[in-house]
Amino acid sequence: MNIFVNEQALEVAPDCNIEELLEVLDKPLQGTAVAVNQNILSRSLWGDYFLQEGDQISLFQAIAGG
Amino acid sequence: MLFNEMVDNDQLVIADKTFTSRLFTGTGKFNDQQTMVDALQASQSELVTMALKRVDMQHKDDDILAPLIKNGMNLLPNTSGARNAKEAVFAARLAREALQTNWVKLEIHPDPKYLLPDPIETLQAAETLANDGFVVLPYVHADPVLCKHLESAGCAAVMPLGAPIGSNKGLKTMEFLEIIIEQANLPVIVDAGIGSPSHAALAMEMGADAVLVNTAMAVAANPVAMSEAFAKAVQAGRQAYLSGLAGQVNHAVASSPLTAFLEAE
Repeated sequence: MNIFVNEQALEVAPDCNIEELLEVLDKPLQGTAVAVNQNILSRSLWGDYFLQEGDQISLFQAIAGG
Repeated sequence: MLFNEMVDNDQLVIADKTFTSRLFTGTGKFNDQQTMVDALQASQSELVTMALKRVDMQHKDDDILAPLIKNGMNLLPNTSGARNAKEAVFAARLAREALQTNWVKLEIHPDPKYLLPDPIETLQAAETLANDGFVVLPYVHADPVLCKHLESAGCAAVMPLGAPIGSNKGLKTMEFLEIIIEQANLPVIVDAGIGSPSHAALAMEMGADAVLVNTAMAVAANPVAMSEAFAKAVQAGRQAYLSGLAGQVNHAVASSPLTAFLEAE
């Protein structure tokens, strides 16, 4: 199944949820925010949302800043 | 109450949090993560800002969060990078998910040269975010009228600037900061432009509730020692404010008796 993560095409296994996606991408769960097709997905729903063909996933990360 | 007790009990309350330190800090521009953690510890700061960015899929970012949480810091995500109210509201909602806090430093500065905050977009975003349950701390120009509007909009504090971000020029807006402090019914945190401990002390002597410092610590030759100097300056300035500063006059007022002791009575 093909999706896009921050505009980059990516092939993932079917039945992959957001938590599993972050694991595959080796991204930390802490300090991360996720939007699916421009809608912010609450952290509590990451295990429940299963990726769909063509999904546009946006990943954001807390970084240093003033 | 003894003065010492008054100083010991002098805590800053913003929304649901109580702070002993009136020095807030940023996490940007430090050379490395260990220096940042050491400097923030030396500053005794209890509230540190962070930014949010779109993940770079090619590179792995440093985990900046773990050491901050380990050291018991409260996190204040900012909306830096947002060019208008809509983007800032989106950034604040992302930050709430990323850092699990409803606190947000609202900053909207579309102009990259001076990074001056857009007052119209900021007020609009502040209203939306306050209604959405956020603890909103807006970064604004030292505009007393705007600060009253932000107070009415439900902000938890205001963060007027002393000078442009990272300029280290000090309190160029001093007379307007004084008006803001005089009129405010909410905490005033002087943000941006504070370049030396004396600037921070001056802001506190004027009655600011807190200051936010980042660049002046992070790019100092010795960031850890400088952060400690800022901590002392903020404490000294606050104590001076609480002690009641002596007023200024335009003529000399003798500190010693002026009796003409060489002459006979």
